Amino acid sequence: MSFHIEAITVLLNGLQQGAIYILLAVGLSIILGTLKFVNFAHGALYLIGTYAGLLLALEINLTSGQLQEWGISTLGLGLGYIPALIIVPFVVFVVGLAMERWVVEPFKDRPDTDQILVTFGLAIILQELFRVFFGSSSLPFSQPAWAQGPPQIPFLAAIPISSWRYYVIGITAVLVLIVYLLVEFTDFGLIVRAGTRDPEMVELLGIRLSRPYIVVFGIGAALAGVAGVVGGPLNPVNPTIGNEILVPAFLTVVIGGVGSIAGAVLGGILFGLTQAILVATYSAWAQVGLYAIAALVLLVRPQGLLGEAEVAP
Amino acid sequence: MSDEPAPASETEAEAGVVADAIGIWAPRGNEVRVVAGTAVVLALFPFVFSRMPVVSELLQGYQSLATLILIWGIFALGFDLLLGYTGLLSFGHAAFWGSAAYAAGIFSQNVSGSPILMVIAGTAFAVLLAWVLGFLSLRRGGIYFAILTLAFAQMMFYMSSSPLAFLTGGENGFTGVETAELFGIFALETDLPSVLGVLLGTWLYLFVAVITLLCVALAYRILNSPYGMVFRAIRENEQRAEFVGLNVWRYRLMSFILSGLFAGIAGSLFVIHGTYVPLASLYWTTSGEVVIMTVLGGTGSLFGPVVGAGVYLYVENIVSGGHPFDFIAPFWHLILGLVFVVVIWVFPRGIWGFFRDVRDFVTGGEE
Repeated sequence: MSFHIEAITVLLNGLQQGAIYILLAVGLSIILGTLKFVNFAHGALYLIGTYAGLLLALEINLTSGQLQEWGISTLGLGLGYIPALIIVPFVVFVVGLAMERWVVEPFKDRPDTDQILVTFGLAIILQELFRVFFGSSSLPFSQPAWAQGPPQIPFLAAIPISSWRYYVIGITAVLVLIVYLLVEFTDFGLIVRAGTRDPEMVELLGIRLSRPYIVVFGIGAALAGVAGVVGGPLNPVNPTIGNEILVPAFLTVVIGGVGSIAGAVLGGILFGLTQAILVATYSAWAQVGLYAIAALVLLVRPQGLLGEAEVAP
Repeated sequence: MSDEPAPASETEAEAGVVADAIGIWAPRGNEVRVVAGTAVVLALFPFVFSRMPVVSELLQGYQSLATLILIWGIFALGFDLLLGYTGLLSFGHAAFWGSAAYAAGIFSQNVSGSPILMVIAGTAFAVLLAWVLGFLSLRRGGIYFAILTLAFAQMMFYMSSSPLAFLTGGENGFTGVETAELFGIFALETDLPSVLGVLLGTWLYLFVAVITLLCVALAYRILNSPYGMVFRAIRENEQRAEFVGLNVWRYRLMSFILSGLFAGIAGSLFVIHGTYVPLASLYWTTSGEVVIMTVLGGTGSLFGPVVGAGVYLYVENIVSGGHPFDFIAPFWHLILGLVFVVVIWVFPRGIWGFFRDVRDFVTGGEE
């Protein structure tokens, strides 16, 4: 394999990995920026997305867990990947709305630490529910047959990357663009942005903020759900994936700058590329590299790459 | 107080001499009562838990779990210093626990297997690490602190999982622990002689219990000193503490280092107890476990977190094995999660706070 093909492969792998981080980080970032709420259960939403996607797209054989012990050996609707990609965001959106209504609202006036603790507890509960019912062993979530090989396009066919990864990058780009346009150029976005700046003033003007906020949370959740569906087939599927992806997602938000969609995208790309390049060169350092970059960014620019300098802590 | 030495009776003068001789080590206030009470509980606990005729059969406890509970108890005690008293939530304490365990383990293999030296080595490493990570994480307050501590602890995890695998054993964990005899005489896993053997069990338990007692005394002293008062002042109102002229940042860092110290002691004991360091001891779920223990037991109290550690480990080790009900076994972690959320939601003061409220209700008021 010639060098430039190898370089392009690494680049595309990095972008794809970054895309997953971006989907999670954009959601986390807009929730943190507008609602000022730290959601440690964001990884659990990714987990829900993956399992929901798996059960919608395929029929799987269960090998462990309570469901299998109760005599259910095959589960899933087997609708295929496209319906799963369309249905899952709505499912997780509704889960997000419920979470906002019954968890975020009651904790709005509690200290930050309580918010973190309760969402952390929620993440454990969700993870354990999946573990109890589906078992802790990895479930097979293969990439769809039509997206396994390299795409049959003249130039790209030579690069050994499955088309699924291109779809991941494409879907992420489209969704993030939609969210960006929604926040920057619609009345809804205007209210959300105004509420971020000065919620009291917005409410004095007679605009109810609770409704846009619940929608923002739902959108963030739906993005995590999409990340779960597109990211699921690229990694083993087991109940701990949510907790594993949470930390890099948080770091993406922090180095990009809280509340900044562009920052989340930049952070995600930076992380994805770093990881892919290190995997290809010094693979032992692949994970450590992420944290080293994060530490460096925080030392030089504590507010994040594209974040505004904070006024109040 | 006047500068003139007041005329004193002979006995008072004598007491003064004794106090001078032991200086700052002399007990103050309630310390004697607290430490003596703790000592009695520590002395009875393993017997009641694992050997007493009826109770231990009900509990299904065993000696090594009793030791483990004390070790995690020290960890949670130190964690509460940070969360309950200074009001900082760290999600990175696995870094101190795990790296102290690795440091003590590697120390035992290469330098000396003396348990006391192992604890000192592990703790020293954890304190230095806490200094560095605290310095970095405290650059941003509030919610960022939790995220940053989490991130740096994960960095330690990945460091030991592959780049440092030649030292730590990577995925397999560190297996080369060589613990020697205590003071070169007493093998830790052997039973204590005569009555002590029935009461306390092994030398290891005695060793851990003595250190636990010292930790309780140290924590109590810190929390009831003016220094500890500042921690609480910062938790209650950071701005006001700043206005009074206190250097909030420095106190926070010191609180972080102190809790790293306790985590280091506990981590070193953990490796002596288990003679093995699993890689997972650095993973962030370990940080999560100590968070759960502390909150479950009750933040902002000295003994609450220790009780929380006991409850957590009991559920993790006994209930998960199908005791008292068989069907409950696979759900143990789920149940812990549910209880944890309920505690945060409706009872932020935890188990210890609950019992205090009950006591106040029965005795009819505050102390």
